[in-house]
Amino acid sequence: MARVKLSGAEIVVEELKDEGVEVAFGIPGGVLLDLYDALYKEDAIRHILMRHEQCAAHAADGYARVSGRTGVCIATSGPGATNLVTGLANANMDSAPVVALTGQVVTSAIGTNAFQEASTFTITMPVTKHNFLVKRTEDLPKVIHNAFYIASTGRKGVVLIDLPKDVLADVAKVNLHTKETFAGYKPNIKPNIVQTKKTAEVLANAERPLILAGGGIISSDATEELRSLAELLGACVVTTLMGKGAIPENHPLCLGMAGMHGHLCANRAINECDALLALGTRFSDRLTAWQLDQFAPDATVIHVDIDAAEINKNLPVDIPIVGDVKLALADILKWLAKQKKMGDKSVWLQRVKEMHTTCEDCIKDVRRAGTSLSDMFIKELSLLLDGDAIVTTEVGQCQMFAAHYYMTKEPRTFISSGGLGTMGFGFPAAIGAKVAVPDKKVVDIAGDGSFLMTCQDLATCVENDIPVVVCILNNRYLGMVRQWQELFYDKKYSHTGLGATPDFVKLAEAFGCYGERVEKPEDLKDVLNSAFESGKPAVIDMIVGSDDKILPMIPPGGGIIGMIGTERCKHV
Amino acid sequence: MQTRIISLLVEDHPGVLTRMSGMFTMRGINITSLTVSPCEKNGLSRMTVAIKGTESELEKVRKQISNLIEVVKVVDLKADEAIIRDLCLLKVHTKDSGMRLEVMLLVESYGAKIMDATLDSVIIELTEEPKKIDRFVDLMQHFGVKQLFRTGLTAIGRD
Ligand SMILES: Cc1cc2nc3c(=O)[nH]c(=O)nc-3n(C[C@H](O)[C@H](O)[C@H](O)COP(=O)(O)OP(=O)(O)OC[C@H]3O[C@@H](n4cnc5c(N)ncnc54)[C@H](O)[C@@H]3O)c2cc1C
Ligand SMILES: Cc1ncc(C[n+]2csc(CCOP(=O)(O)OP(=O)(O)O)c2C)c(N)n1
Repeated sequence: MARVKLSGAEIVVEELKDEGVEVAFGIPGGVLLDLYDALYKEDAIRHILMRHEQCAAHAADGYARVSGRTGVCIATSGPGATNLVTGLANANMDSAPVVALTGQVVTSAIGTNAFQEASTFTITMPVTKHNFLVKRTEDLPKVIHNAFYIASTGRKGVVLIDLPKDVLADVAKVNLHTKETFAGYKPNIKPNIVQTKKTAEVLANAERPLILAGGGIISSDATEELRSLAELLGACVVTTLMGKGAIPENHPLCLGMAGMHGHLCANRAINECDALLALGTRFSDRLTAWQLDQFAPDATVIHVDIDAAEINKNLPVDIPIVGDVKLALADILKWLAKQKKMGDKSVWLQRVKEMHTTCEDCIKDVRRAGTSLSDMFIKELSLLLDGDAIVTTEVGQCQMFAAHYYMTKEPRTFISSGGLGTMGFGFPAAIGAKVAVPDKKVVDIAGDGSFLMTCQDLATCVENDIPVVVCILNNRYLGMVRQWQELFYDKKYSHTGLGATPDFVKLAEAFGCYGERVEKPEDLKDVLNSAFESGKPAVIDMIVGSDDKILPMIPPGGGIIGMIGTERCKHV
Repeated sequence: MQTRIISLLVEDHPGVLTRMSGMFTMRGINITSLTVSPCEKNGLSRMTVAIKGTESELEKVRKQISNLIEVVKVVDLKADEAIIRDLCLLKVHTKDSGMRLEVMLLVESYGAKIMDATLDSVIIELTEEPKKIDRFVDLMQHFGVKQLFRTGLTAIGRD
């Protein structure tokens, strides 16, 4: 590409377009005037003005997870950048590809406590995959290209570019669209064939194989391969929270989510299997719980992960495979086709079928006796949406009710803050999701506490015609914390009562949204339909019990087969 | 607990050192020594890091370091396959000529050098393996060490 003379801001916009960026979520400020001036002239990039930078980051995150493309958010120096931090940490923890652009004071003023100065570069270092502080306008093409390259390859993540005002304002002669990369960044992708062959042998000979599908399956679009392998092998599939959607949850081999708040059956199966194939998961403590000797004690453990640092980090494994899980699965399938002898899996398949049916019956039994209103509302919602929607979640009981009872049918349709557990994530993530796929229904399953953390962005939805539907499980409490206080802290409800929560219907209306309250699960159908038909952003206030609990669960210190609150589960 | 020496080639960017030390801090690993210097390649620097920890901790850290974008190459240096050096500058009390004579004898036998002297002190330089320096410093404590400076270790692998 020929050398051109452009301002830094113009270079940024040209490079964003070259990276295929169609939308950015942001809020301008003094040091970003040049960048916003360049965006003003630009039709190819849609800019959505958010009402809080945290929401800009969450929206970019939600957009990325749903579309598989890199999300972009923009914030000004100082408070703009610090407001962004939670959102960046959230996306990075869940390995979502996001590029953040922040304004910075002029280079000559850096380090002087200049107006709205914060050391964004050092503040964001631990919460990003990589970050840049650009000192010269002519460095912009290489930095921007590499930001997108790093964010969207290998283990995906967040890259931040800090842009001093003079770097944006100055004019420089540059070659645009460089493809030059950094010598130290070689995302490791090809799995070792000796290891994949060994894996195929172990799986073929196993009698009780189990596949644990994590977030890596979704981010690498390996769901087809996963399904083929499970069916070919007769292996059951359990997922992590981030792996929800890796296989249709009504698939007879799927046993749902495992872990601290997982399905009883999924946890049992992990305990009983004799070969565990873990795909794109980091064995978080919410998954394994604390008693590691209950986690697949009799199994040969195979771990496929693109990040070598995850192997043997939390769980010792027998066969490590470093590489892209999509490629690894293709190799394993190829080797399996050559296996002549297969272990007898018939007893296991029978057991898996029983477990699957028990779980599915429970979920379909919407008004099952002895369950709470929260259970019923989410089961009802799952039935009504029938997997044909994108569901985002806030954090807390609401999130775990959703994980437990909302049945996904496709990948990238269940979006939740897994690693950081950020209250206030679901609603702005829903905004990003709706922007990515405007034709899909997008529903945020929210708690009243979480929603109050980011609800100001209803204004963004109204202004930009982004009709997402927020369904609040309104229990007047910080429910998840209250649940722990009830179960493990002698019912001393220290500062978990939300007291005078607002009238969410009026709150919605004040923003110009559709709002409605619903007290009986059987009324949800009509209310939800009206919400979708209104064509407006909507808030549905579902009144549930303050002492509703998400059960069963593994108590603190427990292991994967030590769930409490299983009285309601039919044992298998 | 054991010490491991890792030799890194890193991009010569501002912030690389912060990123590196931040990574150790985040994982609760203690750096016993860290040196940064130019190297044979333009645009790259060499870092020599000595860290203390259990085998599994050290292995985890090594993988995390490899993940850093600005780290171009990571080499584990085993003590018996590498030449390891540390440079030490010492200011030692020599109250009388007897003491001064004794110090000078030790300096000579350790292959150290006297860089400067006043009536009641000498400045000594010693470049050696870290353990040998430790022993020399211990000896000098006997006379009274006024000031001690060590650069931290640097190391090169044998072929
Ligand atoms: C209140 C609460 C309760 C929770 N309860 C549970 C629970 O009961 N069960 C549960 O599972 N989680 C639970 N979580 C979520 C939990 O904290 C973790 O976020 C989750 O377990 C992580 O899932 P993961 O390891 O599959 O995905 P991620 O954290 O997304 O990790 C993905 C892994 O895949 C790898 N990877 C990425 N791309 C590729 C690729 N292309 N090829 C190969 N590997 C790749 C990455 O390196 C990484 O190791 C809970 C969270 C909250 C907030
Ligand atoms: C930003 C943030 N602050 C605090 C917490 C700790 N926390 C986890 S769950 C929870 C309660 C969430 O309450 P709510 O949104 O009403 O959902 P519920 O659990 O009642 O469904 C809290 C405070 C958190 N996860 N995130």
